[in-house]
Amino acid sequence: MRPFAPDAEAVFAELTLRIAQTLTRLREVQGVTVGCSAKRAVWSCGKTTLYQYLPLAEAPSRAAGRPVLICFALVNRPYVLDLQPDRSLVRRLLAAGLSVYLIDWGDPDDADRCLDLEDYVERHLGGCVRHILVSRGTSSLDLLGVCQGGVLSLCYTALHRRDVANLVTLTTPVDFHTPDNLLSKWVRELDTELLRQSGNVPGEALNGLFLALMPFRLTQQKYVRLLAGNSDQRALEDFVRMERWIFDSPPQAAVALAEFVRWFYQENRLIRGTLRIGGKRVDLAAIVQPVLNLYALGDHIVPPGASAAMERCLGSRDYTGCGIDTGHIGMYASRKGADEIPSRIISWLRERP
Amino acid sequence: METPFTHAAFKPDAAFAGAAERFLELLRSFGMPGAGAAGAGRDWSSLAGPLAGQFEQWLKTSQSAGPWFAAANAAASGPGAGVGAAQAGFFGPLPLGAGAAPQQDAQRTWDLVARLAQLQGQLASHWSEIAGTAARRFVARLGAMAGGAPSLDNALKLYELWVSCAEESYAATVRKDDFCRLQAELANTSAALLVEQRRHAETLVRAFGLPSRNEVDALYAQLKDLRRQLAELAEAARSRGAGAPRPARPAGTGRRKRPRKARA
Repeated sequence: MRPFAPDAEAVFAELTLRIAQTLTRLREVQGVTVGCSAKRAVWSCGKTTLYQYLPLAEAPSRAAGRPVLICFALVNRPYVLDLQPDRSLVRRLLAAGLSVYLIDWGDPDDADRCLDLEDYVERHLGGCVRHILVSRGTSSLDLLGVCQGGVLSLCYTALHRRDVANLVTLTTPVDFHTPDNLLSKWVRELDTELLRQSGNVPGEALNGLFLALMPFRLTQQKYVRLLAGNSDQRALEDFVRMERWIFDSPPQAAVALAEFVRWFYQENRLIRGTLRIGGKRVDLAAIVQPVLNLYALGDHIVPPGASAAMERCLGSRDYTGCGIDTGHIGMYASRKGADEIPSRIISWLRERP
Repeated sequence: METPFTHAAFKPDAAFAGAAERFLELLRSFGMPGAGAAGAGRDWSSLAGPLAGQFEQWLKTSQSAGPWFAAANAAASGPGAGVGAAQAGFFGPLPLGAGAAPQQDAQRTWDLVARLAQLQGQLASHWSEIAGTAARRFVARLGAMAGGAPSLDNALKLYELWVSCAEESYAATVRKDDFCRLQAELANTSAALLVEQRRHAETLVRAFGLPSRNEVDALYAQLKDLRRQLAELAEAARSRGAGAPRPARPAGTGRRKRPRKARA
């Protein structure tokens, strides 16, 4: 028995032609740009830069409204939230008249290898918050944490309750020991002291780790699928933009990464209530402000259970959890994510002025 | 064969070309023209062996260049690999090969290299298991698709089936405790090797009177301590200020001059 009859030569020829055409078109669109909304740097600390997005001309003016600070993960670049005009969470927030700030952690180099989580939470994230509060003359802001940035945001909110009015978290893990968390299983027995000593970890190394979670889908199938449909030029450009983002990961400061692996992935301190940052206990029950927690139901990096566990730990009486039918990256960049996520955030924030 | 998994960088055209090549390779195994891999009347179940072999090879090339493994490869570059001859790994150009270390330190490095090779051998047996399971699973599920009319759609459906089988087999193995332990030990051994090499480098830079990594880290620790003290002082000053508001300065008064010290 054979899957193909011997007269399959025509199919083979068609396939070869289609591969050549797709390759040519991919090369043509390789120079696509990423990031679409105008912004300006307003504060910095080490390699970290705080950006303020300029309001859209057509957006309703709500300058007096509470600012929104987006805290992205350390392990990826934040421009995925503003990838292109039709897939930009930032743009949707701006169009709703919100005043949007974003933290870019930059590229830590060898001078930053001793940066720890206290530095990131208290000096960098804390510095951004304080700058916004002082410059805007307001007493609190809305914090939007994404993935690992959501974890940092939870820590900051627990430690500085008065600074945060509303907290929004996207694909944010709280329980790092759910049985379906493959990443957690893999790093459970890593020697974090050696990790700390061996220096900053290049972004490529972490990319390799993430791709290894589903290597055939993530390094083979998604490319072969380009042969399946009649991908137009725009679809190819979208694809290449995502590729650029996926493979553009910053290096990780050695100490902060070692702490993150040990405290969160290995010891699950956040949900156990044993996490201390800068000598202060991070108590999730201390988070009493309204919380919107959005997570992906098909997430292979942050399983939904890891994020949904948040509900059990917070002190907030106003918690909204919502699983979206997409994957981890789909939350920021898919059509579904681009439509659904901003709408939910905007309407939720509007109900909590 | 290069895959984005081996060299995680932004090269979508190269990644696509690599994946397409794998796809064609797979189709050739199914008996597409030009390959001659499958003769007429061949028992389709015999495909499992070659398919597993190809797959195992891909797994080895994809996985063997992980971050820690790359460092280890550089370490293993042999006695001839002195300063400047080491390979560039994920952690950047490594300054030394094991052979360049002082005799008493070299033994530890070689021990780590040997342990790493042993662990990689164990890893290879997992790849073999994944490949074999995936191929058997695929052949078992071919069902109605086998013998279907040759078309691009059918070829792609076959490919999707192959990927599903591969992912399922992979997931089943890499979630097992022994695999997780092995992977952690591989990473730890590679990191230990890297740390060992850096220790050799520290000895060298100290000999040349250059600041070492440890000294820079110690300076950073001092700086961090000072920063913390400064923040505490600033906080204390803010608290005092909040407790007793400073009276407004009368208009027209500038900055107060510091009283001059009386000359001795």
